Amino acid sequence: MKKLLMFLTVGLFVFAMAGCTNSQSVSESNSKGEQEVSENKDSGEDSDKVNTDESKKAILVVSFGTSYNDSREKTIGAVENKITEAFPDYEVRRAFTSGMIINKLKDRDGLEIDNVEQAMQKLYDEGFGKVVVQPTHIMNGYEYDEMKEAVKPFEAKFSSLSYGTPLLNDDKDYEEAIKAVMSEIPETEDKDSAVVFMGHGTDHPANSAYAKLNDKLKEMGYDNVFVGTVESTPDFDDVLEEVNNSGAKKVVLYPFMIVAGDHANNDMAGDEEDSWKTMFKKEGYETIPVIKGLGEYEGIRNLFVEHTRAALEG
Amino acid sequence: MNFKCKILFLIFLVLLSFSGCGKLDESVSQSNNAKIQFIDDDGKEISLEKPAQRIISMYSAHTENIYYLGAGDKLIGGYNCIYPPEAAFLDEYDYKGDPEQVIAAQPDLLLIRPFIRQKAPDYIKTIENAGIPVVSLYPSSFDEFDEYINKLALLTATEQNAKKLLDDFHNEINTIKELTSKQQDKKNVFFESTDINIRTVTPDSMAGLAIETAGGINLAKDAKPIDQGSTIAPFGEEKILENADKIDVYISQRGSMNSGGDLISISQRPGFDTIKAVKEGKVFVINEKIISSPSFRYVKGVREAARFLYPDLMDNIDEYKNDNIATRRDFAIMAVKYKHIPIFIPSSSSYYSTEHKGHTFGLFEDIDWNDKDFDYIETAVENGYVSWDKGEGGKEYFNADKNVSRDELAQWLFVMGDFKNVDVNIPIDDLEKSSHKRIVQILVDNHIFELNNGCFEPERYVTNNEIIKALSCLDVH
Repeated sequence: MKKLLMFLTVGLFVFAMAGCTNSQSVSESNSKGEQEVSENKDSGEDSDKVNTDESKKAILVVSFGTSYNDSREKTIGAVENKITEAFPDYEVRRAFTSGMIINKLKDRDGLEIDNVEQAMQKLYDEGFGKVVVQPTHIMNGYEYDEMKEAVKPFEAKFSSLSYGTPLLNDDKDYEEAIKAVMSEIPETEDKDSAVVFMGHGTDHPANSAYAKLNDKLKEMGYDNVFVGTVESTPDFDDVLEEVNNSGAKKVVLYPFMIVAGDHANNDMAGDEEDSWKTMFKKEGYETIPVIKGLGEYEGIRNLFVEHTRAALEG
Repeated sequence: MNFKCKILFLIFLVLLSFSGCGKLDESVSQSNNAKIQFIDDDGKEISLEKPAQRIISMYSAHTENIYYLGAGDKLIGGYNCIYPPEAAFLDEYDYKGDPEQVIAAQPDLLLIRPFIRQKAPDYIKTIENAGIPVVSLYPSSFDEFDEYINKLALLTATEQNAKKLLDDFHNEINTIKELTSKQQDKKNVFFESTDINIRTVTPDSMAGLAIETAGGINLAKDAKPIDQGSTIAPFGEEKILENADKIDVYISQRGSMNSGGDLISISQRPGFDTIKAVKEGKVFVINEKIISSPSFRYVKGVREAARFLYPDLMDNIDEYKNDNIATRRDFAIMAVKYKHIPIFIPSSSSYYSTEHKGHTFGLFEDIDWNDKDFDYIETAVENGYVSWDKGEGGKEYFNADKNVSRDELAQWLFVMGDFKNVDVNIPIDDLEKSSHKRIVQILVDNHIFELNNGCFEPERYVTNNEIIKALSCLDVH
């Protein structure tokens, strides 16, 4: 009997331990923070309370995130700073949507960056009554959807909560974004050069933004400027065909991403055989990659400020 | 089943059981001789009856070393292992996951390091309670490397291999040391381990010792560890900029545990453009796995550091000054050495689960990771400097002995260099025969290739001397 009891105890212990580690891994992988939110609810706070003090104002700038520390401050950081300068009455906060990047920065560099739920919860707990959520995403893709999904439970908790639009939302945005970027790209003057933008690409219907951008460029007279994506369409082969048809002899590559991170450094400008730089060279083009995220363009930062302004005034 | 068959089957069964018995006796008698006893690095007394046959290794250095020792076939699982390439295909076990997965796999040895026991004590305890031997190893300094390898060898019955590997390992390190110690012009080195607050490594860490072996003078030779027992040491931007004109070579370590910057990000930091190494393009990124990890691959890290410091000495290609028809293997070695580019090491643990448009590192059917030229071949291919072939079922072949044609050389050279379109358009009579017309035209216009009676002769094979001559054009362009 004693033995049986011991066996049971050990068994229960092992089971409990296994259980512990299991739940630990869930909470770690659950970077979306649903757990944190529900924990706060359980802690006895009045979750039905609505923050009405609109003199306490905040702008939450939501980005995908990047593990490139240097680039992050030049791009996401620069957009945040520009918004801070433009709206001095507002507290400007940062959140990332990529759980993978949040975890990586925490594990590798000890940096704590909030996800959207955590940031919203903090704003709520601190009594902010007016909140503008401004994404730095390119378009209304999955990241944007997920951001909205994460903010949704908080919508009724602030007397004023509004969303800014991503970079490319309506027709005017395309035109403005093209003007902002092209004014800082000297190579368009050279008729032997093709300028190629590398976007990310997605299987979300919003991917059509890239084709639209490509068309808009031509409409605005930029015949030798082309747009492709790493992960979707138009792909490298589509862009190559356009470049071949253009008669250009030289290709200048720019990322069409807020941050010049992993994709810009490796997929676009890397020395690997499958980078766009190498693939264009293999086709006989003199190829020059420029590592400059969209967040580094003054005009693009101003556009985000305008989108924020529209949200907080709207 | 008829009677005859039944009899035959019975005889077969009896034979089978006898042969099994024989094996059993043998292994028992072996085990009596091979009793393994030592204290592991968690201070635990290890006592095993026989070498392990089913190992799960939760530390990439253990995994690598076991493959080097020739006992890779004893591994049944790993954690975040991507070297050698076959290790990437081991079943994955994560100490942040469910210990029952390990228990269910029935390993006869779980290899960890003290860090894992600290991070996941309950996970390890659960596995120990299930009767699975757990051995924790980690050499805290380079001096303990041999002892660590010998313990791994004991556990895998590979003592003979260990002796030879360790001899070769130390011989190669000593050879590099001897070569670089003769250099008069000593290089000053700064080693960045993380870009946050710009930290370096302690001088007695593996990376610190690698700089010394490579013949460098470590700018942070007095750096003290950030925490007791750590190899990371604070340094800071201010001290770097104070020494800006002294830093000849800037090495940055990257990987899952370290986030040093790269050439672009380092040169874009405020004030960093005044650093001598940045001005001269002497910023190199090294993968943490070959410079800070206790594995036989460390020798590659030391060699890389020596190449960064003394490229001409380490990357000499005089042995190729001959008129032999060149092979792809020859070209790969010459190209990597001539360009002094760092060897390619995949760093992300998801490297093999990600689809690669080009070649996947280490997956050539005809080039083994133990091939003496493995790094040169992989690096040349990964940089697009040399072609490779795809066979049936998408299998990848390097075809190292294939000769190199002028047409191929033209394309590879163009990828390696920065040739400009000079718009001369010298007539080339046989340009149609080339698969890379645009490239051939540019290179002929730039006088990189001479024509023979107006012909480029794209199919003609080139000699090693011709390759060296062509590579020397990269300096001008």
